[in-house]
Amino acid sequence: MDLKAATLNERRQYYREEWNVKDIPDFILNTLAHREFGFDHMGRGPNDRYRVFQNSDYLRKFMRYRTPFAAYSSVAFYHKPRRRDGWIKAELVFDVDAKDIPIRTCGCDNVCEICLNQAKDIVQGLLDTLKGDLGLSDIHVVYSGRGYHIRVLDDGVMGMDSDVRSQVVKYIVGSDVPRSEYSSHGMKYNLEHFTIPFGYPQVFTQRVKQALFAVNLDTEIDEVSRDIKKAVIKHRELLENDQWGLFRKEIGPVRYSRLVKGIASLNLTLVDAKVSIDLKRILRLPSSLHSGVSMKSTLIKNLETFDPFQDAVPKFVYERKD
Amino acid sequence: MVSISFLNPLSPEGKDTVRELGSFEGISQDIPELRRLVTRNPSQEIADDKEIPSNYLELALKRMEWYIKKKHDREFNSRRYSFLSDQSITRYDVIAFYLLCQAIGVKFGPNSRETRVMVESQGDLIQERLGKLSIGESRLMVEKSLQMLLKDDMVHWTFFQELLSTRKIRLTDLVLDRGELILDREDFIDRFAPRIEHRNPSSMYQLLIGDELKELIMVKMIMQETEDYIKQVHEKARLMVEPNPVLLELADEVAEVLAEPMQHYGYGSGRGGGGPMKAGPLNPLAFPPCVKKALEGIKSGGRNDAIVLFMTPFVSYARLYPDVFRMNISKRVSDQDPQLEITENEVLPLIYEAAQRCVPPLFDDQPQEKVNINAKLGFGMHSTLKMEHEGETTWYTPMSCEKIKLHLPHLCRPDDTCKKIGNPLSYYNRMIWEVRNQDESDSNSDGTGSSNNIAEASIGNVNTNDEVDGPQIGVTGENGKSHNNSGEV
Repeated sequence: MDLKAATLNERRQYYREEWNVKDIPDFILNTLAHREFGFDHMGRGPNDRYRVFQNSDYLRKFMRYRTPFAAYSSVAFYHKPRRRDGWIKAELVFDVDAKDIPIRTCGCDNVCEICLNQAKDIVQGLLDTLKGDLGLSDIHVVYSGRGYHIRVLDDGVMGMDSDVRSQVVKYIVGSDVPRSEYSSHGMKYNLEHFTIPFGYPQVFTQRVKQALFAVNLDTEIDEVSRDIKKAVIKHRELLENDQWGLFRKEIGPVRYSRLVKGIASLNLTLVDAKVSIDLKRILRLPSSLHSGVSMKSTLIKNLETFDPFQDAVPKFVYERKD
Repeated sequence: MVSISFLNPLSPEGKDTVRELGSFEGISQDIPELRRLVTRNPSQEIADDKEIPSNYLELALKRMEWYIKKKHDREFNSRRYSFLSDQSITRYDVIAFYLLCQAIGVKFGPNSRETRVMVESQGDLIQERLGKLSIGESRLMVEKSLQMLLKDDMVHWTFFQELLSTRKIRLTDLVLDRGELILDREDFIDRFAPRIEHRNPSSMYQLLIGDELKELIMVKMIMQETEDYIKQVHEKARLMVEPNPVLLELADEVAEVLAEPMQHYGYGSGRGGGGPMKAGPLNPLAFPPCVKKALEGIKSGGRNDAIVLFMTPFVSYARLYPDVFRMNISKRVSDQDPQLEITENEVLPLIYEAAQRCVPPLFDDQPQEKVNINAKLGFGMHSTLKMEHEGETTWYTPMSCEKIKLHLPHLCRPDDTCKKIGNPLSYYNRMIWEVRNQDESDSNSDGTGSSNNIAEASIGNVNTNDEVDGPQIGVTGENGKSHNNSGEV
């Protein structure tokens, strides 16, 4: 499927015939009046900001008449959203953009089925950590048009400041190599991350595994030579059975530690951290049209079965003549 | 049995001690019992009778002095402070702790260096005291304090928000399962033993959590409570009419103790020479790796952030006001460059050069970014730098390493010096000395003419340690909280 931009007429058709205000998820509709909305009318960025809708009917009318190029709403709740003032709290969000995945297997210029699938796998891993380690449960996943947004609304996290959010990002993406030296009663022990099947070391192991399976000879990893990458490709099947000890031995312990260090620093770009630490960000409105690629931003009910090329394509795309 | 208040003066037992004392009356009177306890201590070394604290106030100052000397004095002798780890002084020590917090809260407030030193010294003191106990006793104390601090058996990680926010602990240090912090052995075995292969779960517990993590959490929580208490005092003091003169006097004396190492021992250990950083021509040899990389031009995404948010503040502060974090005073560009000549002739050209080297050159498709650069220098959203617009926006302070890692991860390729600093500007200030020393020892200059490009020195010492990992200092703060973009995705 080719991802070309929507015309003005196609936008009109979408908002007047296909789109329904009820397609906007409840977690947004229920808090509508506290959120700031932003719109991009010309395809030059969302410069129509500070919009507020007291109820869904006003929003419905606005969308039908203005048929924006793109629509956004704030992750923040405000007492005075019209002035972006009186900040109450903000969703904790993670943006996984298929275009920006650090180690892409596809090599396409924009986004394609392969990198979108890879993004989905990454999202699945992040969700496991958010739920399993951090015990969060009020989580919504949205297909953004070029990737995925994870939006967390648990009470415990919505009041957090940017510094705490940045710690959460680092934890779930695995951007620090866990220490391997531990001591007890004056004795030192060496425990590699993959020997610890819980907590942060386990998260890190999973992220590294995901990255190692995506590596190819052209992947740029800091201070990791072509030889190391060759060895990774040759031996990575060991990791399918989690034979990490053997894998590390094959790579060589010194090269292995250089390798995981390089991957750790790439992991920081698994999500766009800027988005997560911004307490006043606006995010693409689920159900709205991503006109750049002619896809619907969609709330996902079942990530495993979700297929953007089935579930997020607006009708007008099928009616295109060319 | 050691009292909990010996580790945590803010515990109920500690509060009782303060209540018993009642008022400030007689606070500076001699306490013969305290003198006796100090002199009686078998490991105590006394060089001069004057060193023996004889009242609460002197004991308070000894606490600060211990920490400062331990950190900065190469000839530090711990035996002169043995009494600080002697639990028999608990009663006096608790009062001294409260006096310090109140004095610092009233006079300096929570965002001061005094507060940071107080909080850190309390943390170190707890560790020092625990270290003097037997393993069994220390374990018991940690257990008991934690019970009080955590209140519940099960603690959700979000409980540690404050500690995470001030980076006293890292989320990755905690062992979490379904949101809950795992500290207890039974809990650990219950949840993780089925997953553990080829190892004994019990010894795994000992290594990963054991005493170390518990102690860490306890110490950091008490540090946080100390900080919070100083903040409370500060807020109350603002509403009250006149603070007790005893506290103000103590505060001045604390400031003196803290100022001493600047004159005698030298901050930023490991570095010779020093002095307040004076502005001077830029020396690219001293730039940190991230700046060097940005100067080469950004070839992938993030051009705007790299040039506008990162390079503009860095280049301007490095050139005009390199010791902004140490001075902790907000200034305008024109305070440092009244005619804006340096800004026009040295600062902007370097930024524009970096912008030009981007692919595609930044101003080719986004000429409006020139306006944003002016805005970050404090001159509002205008296409030229004009004095009448200065102040419409604020002069952005350089992004911290932490922020760079998040916003511009591609730029961060840390070298050894990076490990010692928390902001690229601190890197620059530190390196400029080393580069100069190199130049002096190596007269065959490499032709970059750096010998003239160095900030002038004067007598005294630069305090780079202050900026490494402490909580935010004052208004500008190197953590760069003023950066608040509200972008979109």
